[in-house]
Amino acid sequence: MSVKPQNKKSNDVTEQGKPFVDAEDRNGFDPAASLGEPGSFPFTRGPHRTMYRDRLWTMRQFAGFGSADDTNKRFKYLLDHGTTGLSTAFDLPTLMGRDSDDPLALGEVGRCGVAISSLADMRRLFDGIQLDKVSTSMTINAPAAILLAFYVCVGEEQDVSSEKLRGTLQNDILKEFHAQNEYVFPPVPSVGLVVDTIEYCTKHMPLWNTVSISGYHIREAGASAAQELAFTLADGMAYTEASMDRGLDVDDFAPRLSFFFDVHNDFFEEIAKLRAARRIWSRVAKDKFHAKNERSWLLRMHCQTAGVTLTEQQPTNNLIRVAYQALAGVLGGTQSLHTNSMDETLALPSERAAKLALRTQQILAHETEVTQTVDPLGGSYFVEKMTDEIEAKAEVIFAEIDSMGGVIKAIDRGYFRRSIAESAQASQKRIDSGEDKIVGVTDFVEEGTSEVDILQISQNTEDEQIASLKELKSSRDKSRHKQALEKLRDGARDGANLMPAIIEAAKADATVGEMMDTMKSVFGAYDGGPEW
Amino acid sequence: MVVTTQNPEEATGVSITTKQPPRILLAKIGLDGHDRGVKVLARSFRDAGIEVIYTGLWQTCESTVHAALQEDVDVIGVSLLSAAHMTVMPELLRYRNELGIDHIPVVLGGIVPDADHPKLKEMGIASVFNPGSSVDVIVKKICELAATRKTADYDSVQDEYNKGNALALSQLLTGVQRGELPDNWKAPTGKAKIVGVTGAPGVGKSSFIGKLAQILCDQGKQVAVIAIDPSSPITGGALLGDRLRMMSTKADSRFFVRSFSSGGGPGGLAPFAREAIDIVNGFGFDYILVETVGAGQADVGIRELTDLTLLLLMPDSGDAVQFSKAGIMEIAGSFVLNKCDLHGADATEAQLLSAVGTDRPIWKVSTIRDEGLEDVAKWLATQ
Repeated sequence: MSVKPQNKKSNDVTEQGKPFVDAEDRNGFDPAASLGEPGSFPFTRGPHRTMYRDRLWTMRQFAGFGSADDTNKRFKYLLDHGTTGLSTAFDLPTLMGRDSDDPLALGEVGRCGVAISSLADMRRLFDGIQLDKVSTSMTINAPAAILLAFYVCVGEEQDVSSEKLRGTLQNDILKEFHAQNEYVFPPVPSVGLVVDTIEYCTKHMPLWNTVSISGYHIREAGASAAQELAFTLADGMAYTEASMDRGLDVDDFAPRLSFFFDVHNDFFEEIAKLRAARRIWSRVAKDKFHAKNERSWLLRMHCQTAGVTLTEQQPTNNLIRVAYQALAGVLGGTQSLHTNSMDETLALPSERAAKLALRTQQILAHETEVTQTVDPLGGSYFVEKMTDEIEAKAEVIFAEIDSMGGVIKAIDRGYFRRSIAESAQASQKRIDSGEDKIVGVTDFVEEGTSEVDILQISQNTEDEQIASLKELKSSRDKSRHKQALEKLRDGARDGANLMPAIIEAAKADATVGEMMDTMKSVFGAYDGGPEW
Repeated sequence: MVVTTQNPEEATGVSITTKQPPRILLAKIGLDGHDRGVKVLARSFRDAGIEVIYTGLWQTCESTVHAALQEDVDVIGVSLLSAAHMTVMPELLRYRNELGIDHIPVVLGGIVPDADHPKLKEMGIASVFNPGSSVDVIVKKICELAATRKTADYDSVQDEYNKGNALALSQLLTGVQRGELPDNWKAPTGKAKIVGVTGAPGVGKSSFIGKLAQILCDQGKQVAVIAIDPSSPITGGALLGDRLRMMSTKADSRFFVRSFSSGGGPGGLAPFAREAIDIVNGFGFDYILVETVGAGQADVGIRELTDLTLLLLMPDSGDAVQFSKAGIMEIAGSFVLNKCDLHGADATEAQLLSAVGTDRPIWKVSTIRDEGLEDVAKWLATQ
């Protein structure tokens, strides 16, 4: 294949138009400073010295649909088939902090995830699953503190103390303002709530990953790789600063921050991005935040293959896309990986598609032998050059954000949303112009319809959820419920850490929607900022 | 395809019956916030010479259909990635037919399994686009659907308008925008207080108008908003996004919003702004709020059209030197310092006071926290 002179491609390597990178292009490259050894500063080559030789990445498949009972069954299925961590997808009403009986929830209850409106729902979700035996990831943001409280309560009911709970709360509200739009309160109190959970977990849940600072959604919304990298790390810095402003010692909470990146199609660029992320973060933690503990310096990450690259046309092609992306994630040194199912542009994953996605990882882990050497691409002229370049691009973006006065000010100006929308538009134009090809869509097109069976969600979930909520509301202790919500409101007003009040309200059977409305009455509701 | 051509005809080869750009309302219904697709389409439509009214996130079927009526669009486009289409779309069509605008075709984009396509067509959805549909194909279809629009019979529309039919008001506004109204027709004289709202991009004009209008409506007043955004001088397309800040999930017949593109008119105003205001006024509103494109120092045309102009500012929006510059500051009858929940509001207020003095009131407002808006409403009533 010939090398085409296209200068937009990230792997169009050199200024001279030479079709490879060599020593000449790497003048001044200092491996000791730029790479170090795996498991040592600046962690470019990986957060651990032995990486997958001693411990494979966690194969964490995101799942959730229908009622708590439906998802409970899927969890047990995945555990039986060798998944090593649970990952909970909530439905849209839950993600937006609304109950299943909210008028805006029409048609969306249990559709894209599991519907959880109360502690009672959470109890059913983990029925028969011992919480000290699993690690659970919960993809939830605006109401994250509430779902964490539910989890703590279920643990308590199983006699598992919160010190023993392992898992991850996505809890990354900043990227909701940038990209995914599942925000409720304005940015400042929203970040305050994130810091409440960080502070609470630092004291009571030492094994819990407090925030999964996410580039995934930023990328899926259209950002470039460099934007994903820079916006995500900038968000990480913003949470760190806010927590330090609260009086927390950086070394007490930074080791429990984790990151979540997208793995897109540009194979080497993605690997470079993940390597650069570790290097940038370790320097920031050490030099900017003066962290002393080495664990504060190392960036641990979860990766997911890029949903946005999947096509409805010829859906089995998606298996191949996912496999390449998964390989890039592993060569980039991820600690945990979700591989998308081939049918995700059509519907939620069917059982068969979800299993194939898991098998993709298992083949990668157990058959390809890529796990045998740590950072096998380390030292590659090309990969190191790309790693440096994407880091430099990120530095430019950090400076831009700083010049606006930081992440929150940049949100107020619509900076992130505008940048992402412009990138999305540009990439659509590249597809429309034929510059970027998509197999089965722009090229190699076949007539005919999709050839996979898809998951159908029962229409009954919504009715059942609404009925059970009604039952809960009429049977709970009304005065305890009322007092708990008043306490939550007062706490919000006084600027207290809200976690204890939320746990109390959860035990009093207050619903997600009721708690969110209570906080909204103090914090206000965000309108999305100047850019849409 | 490349979405950079000069007008829809060239872009698509479709013949458009009117010289005016087609108008489409783009809506996301429900709680799904995945808006990459709808935003890319909105921009691509604009670049293809279409006027796009985007209503933002978290809309209901009811609010969407009411918006379509007020905007008198040619097509309603719904984006759904939440798999709720089989629940939402019948509901949307039911509302549409109830409001008597079943002549407006509805298209759907999103994750829709093949098996649902025929069912959607059968219930009356004009087209369904899945992920991967090319922008070219979608633009072409939208233009085809828009081309089926019939020019209104303005005699009967005028009768309906006189009877207080909001659809007729909406159609007359289309008539004035398209230059189709009979020359001899003149709107009856109205009694509305006409208030201009202007300010730099990002100060929150639309959110402020939305909240202020809500308060006025709650007092039993009839309120209309005319929101003017710039259009592309090259393609004639426009992205009209003011409305999305004023949407509520429930429709309110006392509240009417119409978005216009400026069509390159001077002073941030559309060339037909005067006539449009007269038509709205003649319908019988108590207040007409006119929002103009982010005002620069020279955009003072709004003063000619309104009884009173509010200038919106926000903390850190400029220092005392800028405040004292002539032009836009002088036309303001009052200043609204929005986003007072943000840091620096007091300092900005002090700067403003020293620049403009105390003759004209300065209101401190936070639309996010619903603070300070009642005072503005009270003051407006006395003007």
